[in-house]
Amino acid sequence: MLQLVVGQLLNGVIVGTLYAIIALGVTLTFGITGIVNFALGAFMMLGAYFTWYLTDGLHVPYPLAVPLAVAAIALLGLVVDQVLFRFTRNNLINGLIVSIGLISVIVAFVLMVWSTTPQNMEYVLPGVFRIGGVIVPKMKAVVFVVLLVVILATYAALTRTWAGRAAYAFAQNPEAAALMGVRTKVLQAGVAAYSTALAGLGGALYASLYSITPEIGGSYILKGVEAAILAGIGSVMGSFAGGIIIGVAEGVGSIFLPSAYNDAYGLVFLVLILLFKPAGLFGRSS
Amino acid sequence: MKWLLLWIPLALVPAAVSNNVVLTVLIFTFILGILGVSFNLIFGFTGQLSLFHAAAFGLSAYATYLSMAHWGVSFWIGMATGVVFVTLISIVIGTICFRFKLKELYFAIVTLAFSELARLVILNWTSFTNGSLGINFTLTPTLWLPGRGVVPVAGTTMWYYLSLIAVALAVAFYSRILHSWMGRTFAAIRLNDALADTLGINVFRYKLICFIAGNAGAAVAGSLYAFYISYIDPHYFSVDQSLAIIAMALLGGREYVAAPIVGAFVLTALPHVINVNAEVRILIYGLILILSILLMPRGIVGSLVRRRRAA
Repeated sequence: MLQLVVGQLLNGVIVGTLYAIIALGVTLTFGITGIVNFALGAFMMLGAYFTWYLTDGLHVPYPLAVPLAVAAIALLGLVVDQVLFRFTRNNLINGLIVSIGLISVIVAFVLMVWSTTPQNMEYVLPGVFRIGGVIVPKMKAVVFVVLLVVILATYAALTRTWAGRAAYAFAQNPEAAALMGVRTKVLQAGVAAYSTALAGLGGALYASLYSITPEIGGSYILKGVEAAILAGIGSVMGSFAGGIIIGVAEGVGSIFLPSAYNDAYGLVFLVLILLFKPAGLFGRSS
Repeated sequence: MKWLLLWIPLALVPAAVSNNVVLTVLIFTFILGILGVSFNLIFGFTGQLSLFHAAAFGLSAYATYLSMAHWGVSFWIGMATGVVFVTLISIVIGTICFRFKLKELYFAIVTLAFSELARLVILNWTSFTNGSLGINFTLTPTLWLPGRGVVPVAGTTMWYYLSLIAVALAVAFYSRILHSWMGRTFAAIRLNDALADTLGINVFRYKLICFIAGNAGAAVAGSLYAFYISYIDPHYFSVDQSLAIIAMALLGGREYVAAPIVGAFVLTALPHVINVNAEVRILIYGLILILSILLMPRGIVGSLVRRRRAA
Protein backbone atom coordinates (compact mmCIF):
# COMPACT_ATOMS: atom_id res chain seq x y z
CA MET A 1 0.00 0.00 0.00
CA LEU A 2 2.77 2.38 0.97
CA GLN A 3 4.60 1.57 -2.26
CA LEU A 4 1.46 2.29 -4.21
CA VAL A 5 0.95 5.63 -2.49
CA VAL A 6 4.58 6.68 -2.93
CA GLY A 7 4.53 5.55 -6.56
CA GLN A 8 1.37 7.55 -7.27
CA LEU A 9 2.84 10.50 -5.40
CA LEU A 10 5.92 10.52 -7.63
CA ASN A 11 3.77 10.03 -10.70
CA GLY A 12 1.63 12.94 -9.58
CA VAL A 13 4.66 15.18 -9.14
CA ILE A 14 5.86 14.38 -12.66
CA VAL A 15 2.47 14.96 -14.30
CA GLY A 16 2.19 18.02 -12.08
CA THR A 17 5.29 19.60 -13.62
CA LEU A 18 3.63 19.21 -17.03
CA TYR A 19 0.62 21.10 -15.67
CA ALA A 20 3.01 23.62 -14.15
CA ILE A 21 4.73 24.42 -17.45
CA ILE A 22 1.33 25.26 -18.97
CA ALA A 23 0.35 27.21 -15.85
CA LEU A 24 3.58 29.21 -16.15
CA GLY A 25 2.68 30.16 -19.71
CA VAL A 26 -0.83 31.15 -18.63
CA THR A 27 0.51 33.28 -15.79
CA LEU A 28 3.17 35.03 -17.89
CA THR A 29 0.79 35.81 -20.75
CA PHE A 30 -1.83 37.08 -18.33
CA GLY A 31 0.61 39.26 -16.42
CA ILE A 32 2.08 40.93 -19.47
CA THR A 33 -0.68 41.02 -22.08
CA GLY A 34 -3.78 40.95 -19.85
CA ILE A 35 -5.38 37.99 -21.58
CA VAL A 36 -5.73 34.33 -20.69
CA ASN A 37 -4.63 32.31 -23.66
CA PHE A 38 -6.70 29.12 -23.66
CA ALA A 39 -4.96 28.11 -26.87
CA LEU A 40 -1.78 27.25 -24.96
CA GLY A 41 -3.19 23.74 -24.51
CA ALA A 42 -3.65 23.47 -28.26
CA PHE A 43 -0.06 24.67 -28.79
CA MET A 44 1.10 22.00 -26.39
CA MET A 45 -0.78 19.38 -28.39
CA LEU A 46 0.72 20.75 -31.59
CA GLY A 47 4.21 20.59 -30.01
CA ALA A 48 3.61 16.91 -29.21
CA TYR A 49 2.55 16.21 -32.80
CA PHE A 50 5.52 18.11 -34.28
CA THR A 51 7.94 16.19 -32.09
CA TRP A 52 6.34 12.87 -32.92
CA TYR A 53 6.39 13.69 -36.63
CA LEU A 54 10.02 14.80 -36.53
CA THR A 55 11.28 11.70 -34.68
CA ASP A 56 9.10 8.95 -36.12
CA GLY A 57 8.35 10.46 -39.51
CA LEU A 58 11.59 12.22 -40.43
CA HIS A 59 13.91 10.24 -38.12
CA VAL A 60 15.39 13.27 -36.45
CA PRO A 61 16.99 12.21 -33.13
CA TYR A 62 14.72 13.09 -30.19
CA PRO A 63 17.13 15.51 -28.44
CA LEU A 64 17.25 17.52 -31.66
CA ALA A 65 13.55 17.16 -32.44
CA VAL A 66 12.51 18.78 -29.16
CA PRO A 67 14.25 22.15 -29.74
CA LEU A 68 13.10 22.16 -33.36
CA ALA A 69 9.49 21.60 -32.35
CA VAL A 70 9.74 24.19 -29.58
CA ALA A 71 11.20 26.75 -32.00
CA ALA A 72 8.42 26.09 -34.50
CA ILE A 73 5.77 26.52 -31.79
CA ALA A 74 7.42 29.72 -30.53
CA LEU A 75 7.38 31.14 -34.05
CA LEU A 76 3.72 30.21 -34.44
CA GLY A 77 3.00 31.80 -31.09
CA LEU A 78 4.68 35.01 -32.21
CA VAL A 79 2.73 35.10 -35.47
CA VAL A 80 -0.58 34.43 -33.71
CA ASP A 81 0.18 37.11 -31.16
CA GLN A 82 0.94 39.70 -33.82
CA VAL A 83 -1.97 38.77 -36.08
CA LEU A 84 -4.68 38.12 -33.47
CA PHE A 85 -3.93 38.80 -29.82
CA ARG A 86 -2.31 42.17 -30.46
CA PHE A 87 -5.83 43.49 -31.07
CA THR A 88 -7.32 42.09 -27.87
CA ARG A 89 -4.72 43.33 -25.38
CA ASN A 90 -6.25 43.94 -21.96
CA ASN A 91 -9.68 42.90 -23.16
CA LEU A 92 -10.03 39.68 -21.27
CA ILE A 93 -13.32 38.46 -22.71
CA ASN A 94 -12.36 39.16 -26.33
CA GLY A 95 -8.97 37.55 -25.82
CA LEU A 96 -10.62 34.51 -24.26
CA ILE A 97 -13.00 34.11 -27.19
CA VAL A 98 -10.26 34.59 -29.79
CA SER A 99 -8.14 31.98 -28.04
CA ILE A 100 -11.09 29.56 -27.91
CA GLY A 101 -11.55 30.11 -31.64
CA LEU A 102 -7.86 29.49 -32.17
CA ILE A 103 -8.16 26.13 -30.38
CA SER A 104 -10.73 25.00 -32.95
CA VAL A 105 -8.52 26.12 -35.80
CA ILE A 106 -5.51 24.20 -34.44
CA VAL A 107 -7.54 21.10 -33.58
CA ALA A 108 -9.16 21.12 -37.03
CA PHE A 109 -5.70 21.39 -38.63
CA VAL A 110 -4.39 18.41 -36.63
CA LEU A 111 -7.51 16.36 -37.42
CA MET A 112 -7.10 17.04 -41.13
CA VAL A 113 -3.41 16.18 -41.20
CA TRP A 114 -3.12 13.37 -38.63
CA SER A 115 -6.75 12.22 -37.96
CA THR A 116 -8.11 11.22 -34.57
CA THR A 117 -6.05 8.01 -34.28
CA PRO A 118 -3.88 8.17 -31.13
CA GLN A 119 -0.19 8.28 -32.05
CA ASN A 120 2.48 6.58 -29.98
CA MET A 121 6.07 7.68 -30.33
CA GLU A 122 8.74 5.00 -30.18
CA TYR A 123 10.46 4.72 -26.82
CA VAL A 124 13.16 7.33 -26.52
CA LEU A 125 14.72 6.06 -23.33
CA PRO A 126 13.56 2.64 -22.16
CA GLY A 127 14.28 1.30 -18.70
CA VAL A 128 13.31 2.21 -15.18
CA PHE A 129 14.82 3.35 -11.91
CA ARG A 130 14.01 1.23 -8.86
CA ILE A 131 14.11 3.09 -5.58
CA GLY A 132 13.04 0.77 -2.80
CA GLY A 133 10.01 -0.94 -4.24
CA VAL A 134 9.00 2.08 -6.29
CA ILE A 135 9.48 2.02 -10.04
CA VAL A 136 10.06 5.24 -11.96
CA PRO A 137 10.56 5.06 -15.75
CA LYS A 138 13.81 6.79 -16.74
CA MET A 139 12.11 8.97 -19.31
CA LYS A 140 9.68 10.32 -16.71
CA ALA A 141 12.61 11.28 -14.49
CA VAL A 142 14.26 13.06 -17.44
CA VAL A 143 11.07 14.94 -18.27
CA PHE A 144 10.74 16.02 -14.66
CA VAL A 145 14.33 17.29 -14.49
CA VAL A 146 14.09 19.17 -17.80
CA LEU A 147 10.85 20.88 -16.81
CA LEU A 148 12.17 21.72 -13.35
CA VAL A 149 15.29 23.29 -14.86
CA VAL A 150 13.23 25.34 -17.31
CA ILE A 151 10.89 26.58 -14.58
CA LEU A 152 13.78 27.54 -12.29
CA ALA A 153 15.64 29.18 -15.17
CA THR A 154 12.52 31.19 -16.01
CA TYR A 155 12.26 32.27 -12.41
CA ALA A 156 15.93 33.26 -12.33
CA ALA A 157 15.61 35.13 -15.63
CA LEU A 158 12.61 37.05 -14.36
CA THR A 159 14.25 38.09 -11.12
CA ARG A 160 17.90 38.48 -12.14
CA THR A 161 18.03 39.87 -15.67
CA TRP A 162 17.18 43.31 -17.01
CA ALA A 163 14.46 41.93 -19.30
CA GLY A 164 12.92 39.97 -16.44
CA ARG A 165 12.78 42.99 -14.18
CA ALA A 166 11.36 45.00 -17.08
CA ALA A 167 8.60 42.40 -17.35
CA TYR A 168 7.84 42.69 -13.63
CA ALA A 169 7.84 46.46 -13.86
CA PHE A 170 5.52 46.33 -16.85
CA ALA A 171 3.12 44.01 -15.03
CA GLN A 172 2.94 46.47 -12.16
CA ASN A 173 2.68 49.68 -14.11
CA PRO A 174 2.84 49.63 -17.91
CA GLU A 175 3.14 53.38 -18.34
CA ALA A 176 5.91 53.84 -15.83
CA ALA A 177 7.78 50.92 -17.38
CA ALA A 178 7.44 52.48 -20.82
CA LEU A 179 8.77 55.78 -19.47
CA MET A 180 11.77 53.97 -18.00
CA GLY A 181 12.73 52.76 -21.46
CA VAL A 182 11.05 49.36 -21.60
CA ARG A 183 10.08 48.61 -25.17
CA THR A 184 6.61 47.43 -24.25
CA LYS A 185 5.47 46.12 -27.64
CA VAL A 186 8.59 43.99 -27.99
CA LEU A 187 8.22 42.80 -24.41
CA GLN A 188 4.60 41.74 -24.92
CA ALA A 189 5.34 39.90 -28.15
CA GLY A 190 8.38 38.25 -26.59
CA VAL A 191 6.49 37.04 -23.53
CA ALA A 192 3.62 35.75 -25.68
CA ALA A 193 6.06 33.79 -27.85
CA TYR A 194 7.95 32.51 -24.80
CA SER A 195 4.71 31.29 -23.18
CA THR A 196 3.74 29.35 -26.29
CA ALA A 197 7.28 27.96 -26.43
CA LEU A 198 6.84 26.67 -22.87
CA ALA A 199 3.60 24.99 -23.90
CA GLY A 200 5.36 23.54 -26.95
CA LEU A 201 8.12 22.18 -24.71
CA GLY A 202 5.50 20.57 -22.46
CA GLY A 203 4.02 18.90 -25.54
CA ALA A 204 7.40 17.80 -26.91
CA LEU A 205 8.20 16.07 -23.62
CA TYR A 206 4.66 14.71 -23.24
CA ALA A 207 5.07 12.96 -26.59
CA SER A 208 7.84 10.76 -25.17
CA LEU A 209 5.60 9.50 -22.34
CA TYR A 210 2.01 9.12 -23.47
CA SER A 211 -0.21 8.64 -26.53
CA ILE A 212 -0.93 11.79 -28.48
CA THR A 213 -4.48 12.65 -29.46
CA PRO A 214 -5.99 15.97 -30.56
CA GLU A 215 -7.87 16.10 -27.24
CA ILE A 216 -4.89 16.32 -24.86
CA GLY A 217 -4.70 20.10 -25.17
CA GLY A 218 -8.14 20.63 -23.68
CA SER A 219 -7.47 18.73 -20.48
CA TYR A 220 -3.99 20.24 -20.03
CA ILE A 221 -5.03 23.85 -20.48
CA LEU A 222 -7.83 23.34 -18.00
CA LYS A 223 -5.37 21.96 -15.43
CA GLY A 224 -2.90 24.68 -16.32
CA VAL A 225 -5.41 27.48 -15.75
CA GLU A 226 -6.56 25.77 -12.57
CA ALA A 227 -2.98 25.52 -11.33
CA ALA A 228 -2.29 29.17 -12.17
CA ILE A 229 -5.40 30.39 -10.35
CA LEU A 230 -4.93 27.96 -7.46
CA ALA A 231 -1.63 29.52 -6.55
CA GLY A 232 -2.60 33.08 -7.35
CA ILE A 233 -2.27 34.18 -10.96
CA GLY A 234 0.94 36.12 -11.63
CA SER A 235 3.28 34.06 -9.48
CA VAL A 236 5.95 31.92 -11.19
CA MET A 237 6.81 29.57 -8.35
CA GLY A 238 3.13 29.56 -7.39
CA SER A 239 2.13 28.09 -10.71
CA PHE A 240 4.77 25.42 -10.20
CA ALA A 241 3.32 24.57 -6.79
CA GLY A 242 -0.23 24.68 -8.18
CA GLY A 243 0.64 22.20 -10.91
CA ILE A 244 2.25 19.82 -8.43
CA ILE A 245 -0.72 20.05 -6.06
CA ILE A 246 -3.20 19.13 -8.79
CA GLY A 247 -0.94 16.37 -10.14
CA VAL A 248 -0.44 14.82 -6.71
CA ALA A 249 -4.15 15.08 -5.85
CA GLU A 250 -4.97 13.18 -9.04
CA GLY A 251 -2.27 10.56 -8.51
CA VAL A 252 -3.13 9.83 -4.91
CA GLY A 253 -6.86 10.28 -5.49
CA SER A 254 -6.90 7.61 -8.19
CA ILE A 255 -5.95 5.01 -5.55
CA PHE A 256 -9.18 5.61 -3.70
CA LEU A 257 -11.66 6.72 -6.35
CA PRO A 258 -12.25 5.58 -9.95
CA SER A 259 -9.77 7.39 -12.17
CA ALA A 260 -12.72 8.56 -14.27
CA TYR A 261 -13.09 11.34 -11.71
CA ASN A 262 -9.43 12.40 -12.03
CA ASP A 263 -10.38 15.59 -13.81
CA ALA A 264 -12.63 16.62 -10.94
CA TYR A 265 -9.98 17.21 -8.24
CA GLY A 266 -8.51 20.29 -9.82
CA LEU A 267 -11.97 21.68 -10.40
CA VAL A 268 -13.03 21.14 -6.80
CA PHE A 269 -9.79 22.68 -5.49
CA LEU A 270 -10.24 25.60 -7.82
CA VAL A 271 -13.79 26.35 -6.73
CA LEU A 272 -12.82 26.12 -3.05
CA ILE A 273 -9.80 28.39 -3.51
CA LEU A 274 -11.74 30.98 -5.46
CA LEU A 275 -14.42 31.02 -2.81
CA PHE A 276 -12.31 31.18 0.30
CA LYS A 277 -8.99 32.68 -0.78
CA PRO A 278 -9.51 34.38 -4.15
CA ALA A 279 -5.97 35.76 -4.30
CA GLY A 280 -4.71 32.17 -4.48
CA LEU A 281 -2.92 29.92 -2.02
CA PHE A 282 0.22 32.02 -1.98
CA GLY A 283 -1.23 35.36 -2.98
CA ARG A 284 -1.71 38.27 -0.64
CA SER A 285 -5.38 38.99 -0.17
CA SER A 286 -6.28 42.46 -1.27
CA MET B 1 -43.86 46.41 -33.27
CA LYS B 2 -42.47 46.10 -36.77
CA TRP B 3 -40.26 43.23 -35.57
CA LEU B 4 -43.43 41.20 -34.96
CA LEU B 5 -44.09 41.24 -38.70
CA LEU B 6 -40.96 39.18 -39.27
CA TRP B 7 -42.60 36.14 -37.70
CA ILE B 8 -45.41 36.03 -40.26
CA PRO B 9 -43.34 34.97 -43.29
CA LEU B 10 -41.65 32.35 -41.10
CA ALA B 11 -45.07 30.92 -40.20
CA LEU B 12 -45.90 30.64 -43.91
CA VAL B 13 -42.69 28.86 -44.91
CA PRO B 14 -44.07 25.26 -44.69
CA ALA B 15 -46.92 26.22 -47.01
CA ALA B 16 -44.51 27.56 -49.62
CA VAL B 17 -41.56 25.19 -49.21
CA SER B 18 -41.98 21.44 -49.29
CA ASN B 19 -38.24 20.77 -49.24
CA ASN B 20 -37.54 18.86 -46.04
CA VAL B 21 -33.91 19.96 -45.84
CA VAL B 22 -34.89 23.62 -45.70
CA LEU B 23 -37.47 22.97 -43.00
CA THR B 24 -35.06 20.82 -41.00
CA VAL B 25 -32.42 23.54 -41.10
CA LEU B 26 -35.01 26.00 -39.86
CA ILE B 27 -36.14 23.67 -37.04
CA PHE B 28 -32.55 23.38 -35.82
CA THR B 29 -32.17 27.14 -36.24
CA PHE B 30 -35.19 27.77 -34.00
CA ILE B 31 -34.24 25.27 -31.29
CA LEU B 32 -30.58 26.36 -31.20
CA GLY B 33 -31.81 29.94 -31.54
CA ILE B 34 -33.49 29.58 -28.13
CA LEU B 35 -30.11 28.48 -26.81
CA GLY B 36 -28.34 31.46 -28.38
CA VAL B 37 -30.97 34.00 -27.33
CA SER B 38 -30.95 32.79 -23.72
CA PHE B 39 -27.14 32.76 -23.63
CA ASN B 40 -27.08 36.29 -24.92
CA LEU B 41 -29.20 37.46 -21.98
CA ILE B 42 -26.32 36.46 -19.69
CA PHE B 43 -23.44 37.30 -22.04
CA GLY B 44 -24.51 40.15 -24.31
CA PHE B 45 -26.89 42.03 -22.05
CA THR B 46 -25.45 41.44 -18.59
CA GLY B 47 -21.81 40.96 -19.59
CA GLN B 48 -21.16 37.63 -17.86
CA LEU B 49 -19.33 35.00 -19.96
CA SER B 50 -21.06 31.88 -18.63
CA LEU B 51 -19.61 28.60 -19.82
CA PHE B 52 -22.38 26.65 -18.12
CA HIS B 53 -24.88 27.09 -20.93
CA ALA B 54 -24.10 23.87 -22.78
CA ALA B 55 -24.34 22.02 -19.46
CA ALA B 56 -27.78 23.51 -18.72
CA PHE B 57 -28.83 22.42 -22.21
CA GLY B 58 -27.52 18.89 -21.67
CA LEU B 59 -28.74 18.45 -18.10
CA SER B 60 -32.26 19.37 -19.11
CA ALA B 61 -32.14 16.97 -22.07
CA TYR B 62 -31.20 14.14 -19.70
CA ALA B 63 -33.64 15.20 -16.99
CA THR B 64 -36.50 15.37 -19.49
CA TYR B 65 -35.86 11.96 -20.96
CA LEU B 66 -35.06 10.24 -17.65
CA SER B 67 -38.13 11.61 -15.88
CA MET B 68 -40.31 10.44 -18.78
CA ALA B 69 -38.68 7.01 -18.87
CA HIS B 70 -38.73 6.41 -15.11
CA TRP B 71 -41.91 8.16 -14.02
CA GLY B 72 -43.94 7.73 -17.19
CA VAL B 73 -44.87 11.42 -17.33
CA SER B 74 -45.64 13.31 -20.54
CA PHE B 75 -43.08 15.35 -22.45
CA TRP B 76 -44.36 18.63 -21.08
CA ILE B 77 -44.05 17.48 -17.47
CA GLY B 78 -40.61 16.13 -18.42
CA MET B 79 -39.61 19.50 -19.84
CA ALA B 80 -40.89 21.20 -16.70
CA THR B 81 -38.79 18.77 -14.66
CA GLY B 82 -35.75 19.69 -16.75
CA VAL B 83 -36.38 23.41 -16.31
CA VAL B 84 -36.92 23.08 -12.55
CA PHE B 85 -33.80 20.91 -12.19
CA VAL B 86 -31.66 23.37 -14.16
CA THR B 87 -33.15 26.28 -12.21
CA LEU B 88 -32.22 24.66 -8.89
CA ILE B 89 -28.68 23.98 -10.08
CA SER B 90 -28.41 27.53 -11.43
CA ILE B 91 -29.47 28.89 -8.05
CA VAL B 92 -26.70 26.91 -6.35
CA ILE B 93 -23.99 27.81 -8.90
CA GLY B 94 -25.17 31.39 -9.27
CA THR B 95 -25.26 31.92 -5.52
CA ILE B 96 -21.73 30.56 -5.17
CA CYS B 97 -20.37 32.68 -8.03
CA PHE B 98 -22.15 35.94 -7.31
CA ARG B 99 -22.06 35.80 -3.51
CA PHE B 100 -18.27 35.62 -3.81
CA LYS B 101 -18.30 38.29 -6.53
CA LEU B 102 -16.57 36.21 -9.20
CA LYS B 103 -16.15 38.22 -12.37
CA GLU B 104 -14.86 37.91 -15.91
CA LEU B 105 -12.21 35.19 -16.07
CA TYR B 106 -13.04 33.76 -12.66
CA PHE B 107 -16.74 33.51 -13.45
CA ALA B 108 -15.95 31.89 -16.79
CA ILE B 109 -13.57 29.37 -15.22
CA VAL B 110 -15.87 28.42 -12.34
CA THR B 111 -18.87 27.97 -14.62
CA LEU B 112 -16.63 25.90 -16.90
CA ALA B 113 -15.58 23.84 -13.87
CA PHE B 114 -19.20 23.12 -12.94
CA SER B 115 -19.99 22.31 -16.54
CA GLU B 116 -17.10 19.82 -16.64
CA LEU B 117 -18.25 18.28 -13.36
CA ALA B 118 -21.74 17.82 -14.83
CA ARG B 119 -20.23 16.20 -17.92
CA LEU B 120 -18.08 13.85 -15.80
CA VAL B 121 -21.10 12.76 -13.77
CA ILE B 122 -23.20 12.10 -16.89
CA LEU B 123 -20.29 10.28 -18.53
CA ASN B 124 -19.52 8.03 -15.54
CA TRP B 125 -22.95 7.35 -14.06
CA THR B 126 -23.34 4.59 -16.60
CA SER B 127 -26.22 2.69 -14.98
CA PHE B 128 -28.41 5.78 -15.21
CA THR B 129 -27.18 7.58 -18.31
CA ASN B 130 -25.56 4.80 -20.37
CA GLY B 131 -22.28 6.76 -20.32
CA SER B 132 -20.58 7.81 -23.51
CA LEU B 133 -22.85 5.68 -25.71
CA GLY B 134 -25.84 7.85 -24.93
CA ILE B 135 -29.46 6.77 -25.24
CA ASN B 136 -31.55 6.32 -28.38
CA PHE B 137 -35.24 6.52 -27.62
CA THR B 138 -38.63 6.45 -29.29
CA LEU B 139 -40.67 8.60 -26.89
CA THR B 140 -42.28 11.61 -28.54
CA PRO B 141 -43.97 14.74 -27.23
CA THR B 142 -47.74 14.87 -27.57
CA LEU B 143 -49.96 17.85 -28.28
CA TRP B 144 -53.66 18.52 -28.01
CA LEU B 145 -54.91 19.93 -31.28
CA PRO B 146 -58.44 21.24 -31.77
CA GLY B 147 -60.47 18.69 -33.70
CA ARG B 148 -57.79 15.99 -33.61
CA GLY B 149 -57.41 15.37 -29.90
CA VAL B 150 -54.08 14.36 -28.41
CA VAL B 151 -51.58 13.52 -31.16
CA PRO B 152 -47.86 12.76 -31.07
CA VAL B 153 -45.59 15.44 -32.49
CA ALA B 154 -44.20 13.73 -35.56
CA GLY B 155 -43.15 14.88 -38.97
CA THR B 156 -41.32 17.95 -40.10
CA THR B 157 -44.28 20.34 -40.31
CA MET B 158 -45.42 19.76 -36.74
CA TRP B 159 -41.91 20.11 -35.40
CA TYR B 160 -41.52 23.25 -37.48
CA TYR B 161 -44.49 24.95 -35.84
CA LEU B 162 -43.62 23.67 -32.37
CA SER B 163 -40.06 25.02 -32.56
CA LEU B 164 -41.18 28.26 -34.21
CA ILE B 165 -43.68 28.91 -31.43
CA ALA B 166 -41.07 28.00 -28.82
CA VAL B 167 -38.48 30.41 -30.19
CA ALA B 168 -41.09 33.16 -30.62
CA LEU B 169 -42.16 32.71 -26.99
CA ALA B 170 -38.51 32.75 -25.88
CA VAL B 171 -37.84 35.98 -27.76
CA ALA B 172 -41.03 37.51 -26.35
CA PHE B 173 -40.09 36.43 -22.82
CA TYR B 174 -36.54 37.78 -23.00
CA SER B 175 -37.45 41.03 -24.73
CA ARG B 176 -40.16 41.57 -22.12
CA ILE B 177 -37.49 41.23 -19.43
CA LEU B 178 -34.98 43.39 -21.26
CA HIS B 179 -37.41 46.16 -22.09
CA SER B 180 -38.50 46.46 -18.48
CA TRP B 181 -36.61 48.20 -15.67
CA MET B 182 -34.88 44.89 -15.12
CA GLY B 183 -33.24 45.17 -18.53
CA ARG B 184 -31.81 48.54 -17.53
CA THR B 185 -30.57 46.98 -14.32
CA PHE B 186 -28.78 44.31 -16.36
CA ALA B 187 -27.24 46.99 -18.59
CA ALA B 188 -26.04 48.89 -15.53
CA ILE B 189 -24.39 45.74 -14.23
CA ARG B 190 -22.77 45.09 -17.60
CA LEU B 191 -21.37 48.59 -17.91
CA ASN B 192 -20.08 48.95 -14.35
CA ASP B 193 -21.26 46.70 -11.59
CA ALA B 194 -19.46 48.61 -8.84
CA LEU B 195 -21.28 51.78 -9.88
CA ALA B 196 -24.56 49.85 -10.14
CA ASP B 197 -24.00 48.71 -6.57
CA THR B 198 -23.49 52.24 -5.29
CA LEU B 199 -26.65 53.32 -7.09
CA GLY B 200 -28.61 50.91 -4.92
CA ILE B 201 -28.97 48.05 -7.39
CA ASN B 202 -28.79 44.68 -5.70
CA VAL B 203 -26.11 43.33 -8.05
CA PHE B 204 -26.17 39.86 -6.51
CA ARG B 205 -29.90 39.47 -6.93
CA TYR B 206 -30.06 40.63 -10.54
CA LYS B 207 -27.04 38.67 -11.67
CA LEU B 208 -28.66 35.59 -10.14
CA ILE B 209 -32.02 36.28 -11.79
CA CYS B 210 -30.29 36.77 -15.12
CA PHE B 211 -28.29 33.54 -14.74
CA ILE B 212 -31.42 31.56 -13.84
CA ALA B 213 -33.56 33.07 -16.60
CA GLY B 214 -30.84 32.40 -19.18
CA ASN B 215 -30.26 28.82 -18.11
CA ALA B 216 -34.01 28.14 -18.07
CA GLY B 217 -34.04 29.00 -21.79
CA ALA B 218 -31.16 26.59 -22.36
CA ALA B 219 -33.19 23.95 -20.51
CA VAL B 220 -36.19 24.39 -22.81
CA ALA B 221 -33.91 24.21 -25.84
CA GLY B 222 -32.29 21.05 -24.44
CA SER B 223 -35.61 19.22 -24.02
CA LEU B 224 -36.79 20.15 -27.51
CA TYR B 225 -33.46 19.31 -29.13
CA ALA B 226 -33.23 15.90 -27.45
CA PHE B 227 -36.72 14.92 -28.57
CA TYR B 228 -36.29 16.27 -32.07
CA ILE B 229 -33.23 14.10 -32.67
CA SER B 230 -34.45 11.31 -30.29
CA TYR B 231 -30.98 10.86 -28.88
CA ILE B 232 -28.98 12.07 -25.90
CA ASP B 233 -25.28 11.63 -25.20
CA PRO B 234 -22.53 13.51 -23.35
CA HIS B 235 -21.74 15.54 -26.48
CA TYR B 236 -24.50 17.89 -25.37
CA PHE B 237 -22.00 19.08 -22.76
CA SER B 238 -18.98 19.23 -25.06
CA VAL B 239 -16.70 22.18 -25.62
CA ASP B 240 -17.87 22.24 -29.25
CA GLN B 241 -21.39 22.88 -28.03
CA SER B 242 -20.23 25.78 -25.85
CA LEU B 243 -18.26 27.13 -28.82
CA ALA B 244 -21.29 26.95 -31.06
CA ILE B 245 -23.34 28.86 -28.47
CA ILE B 246 -20.81 31.68 -28.17
CA ALA B 247 -20.42 31.74 -31.95
CA MET B 248 -24.19 32.13 -32.42
CA ALA B 249 -24.37 35.11 -30.10
CA LEU B 250 -21.27 36.81 -31.54
CA LEU B 251 -22.17 36.15 -35.15
CA GLY B 252 -25.77 37.28 -34.80
CA GLY B 253 -25.01 40.30 -32.67
CA ARG B 254 -24.89 40.91 -28.95
CA GLU B 255 -27.09 44.00 -28.88
CA TYR B 256 -30.40 42.58 -30.11
CA VAL B 257 -32.58 40.00 -28.41
CA ALA B 258 -33.37 37.92 -31.49
CA ALA B 259 -30.02 38.39 -33.26
CA PRO B 260 -28.48 35.08 -32.10
CA ILE B 261 -31.17 33.32 -34.16
CA VAL B 262 -29.47 34.73 -37.25
CA GLY B 263 -26.19 33.33 -35.94
CA ALA B 264 -27.87 29.96 -35.33
CA PHE B 265 -29.22 30.01 -38.88
CA VAL B 266 -25.81 30.66 -40.43
CA LEU B 267 -24.15 27.96 -38.34
CA THR B 268 -26.81 25.32 -39.10
CA ALA B 269 -27.22 26.21 -42.76
CA LEU B 270 -23.50 26.42 -43.51
CA PRO B 271 -22.77 22.66 -43.46
CA HIS B 272 -25.72 22.13 -45.84
CA VAL B 273 -24.81 24.87 -48.26
CA ILE B 274 -21.18 23.91 -48.60
CA ASN B 275 -20.78 20.18 -48.08
CA VAL B 276 -18.13 19.89 -45.38
CA ASN B 277 -16.93 17.24 -42.96
CA ALA B 278 -16.62 17.55 -39.21
CA GLU B 279 -13.05 18.87 -39.20
CA VAL B 280 -13.85 21.71 -41.57
CA ARG B 281 -16.89 22.58 -39.50
CA ILE B 282 -14.74 22.93 -36.36
CA LEU B 283 -12.37 25.11 -38.41
CA ILE B 284 -15.25 27.32 -39.55
CA TYR B 285 -16.58 27.71 -35.98
CA GLY B 286 -13.13 28.78 -34.85
CA LEU B 287 -12.68 31.25 -37.68
CA ILE B 288 -16.14 32.70 -37.02
CA LEU B 289 -15.24 33.31 -33.38
CA ILE B 290 -11.93 34.97 -34.24
CA LEU B 291 -13.14 37.01 -37.18
CA SER B 292 -16.34 38.20 -35.57
CA ILE B 293 -14.43 39.45 -32.53
CA LEU B 294 -11.74 41.18 -34.59
CA LEU B 295 -13.66 42.39 -37.64
CA MET B 296 -17.35 42.42 -36.84
CA PRO B 297 -17.79 42.91 -33.11
CA ARG B 298 -21.42 43.97 -33.54
CA GLY B 299 -22.42 40.81 -35.38
CA ILE B 300 -24.43 40.43 -38.58
CA VAL B 301 -27.57 42.13 -37.29
CA GLY B 302 -25.64 44.91 -35.57
CA SER B 303 -23.63 45.67 -38.72
CA LEU B 304 -26.71 45.66 -40.95
CA VAL B 305 -28.70 47.94 -38.67
CA ARG B 306 -25.85 50.40 -38.36
CA ARG B 307 -25.28 50.44 -42.11
CA ARG B 308 -28.95 51.22 -42.69
CA ARG B 309 -28.88 54.00 -40.12
CA ALA B 310 -25.77 55.48 -41.71
CA ALA B 311 -27.31 55.48 -45.19
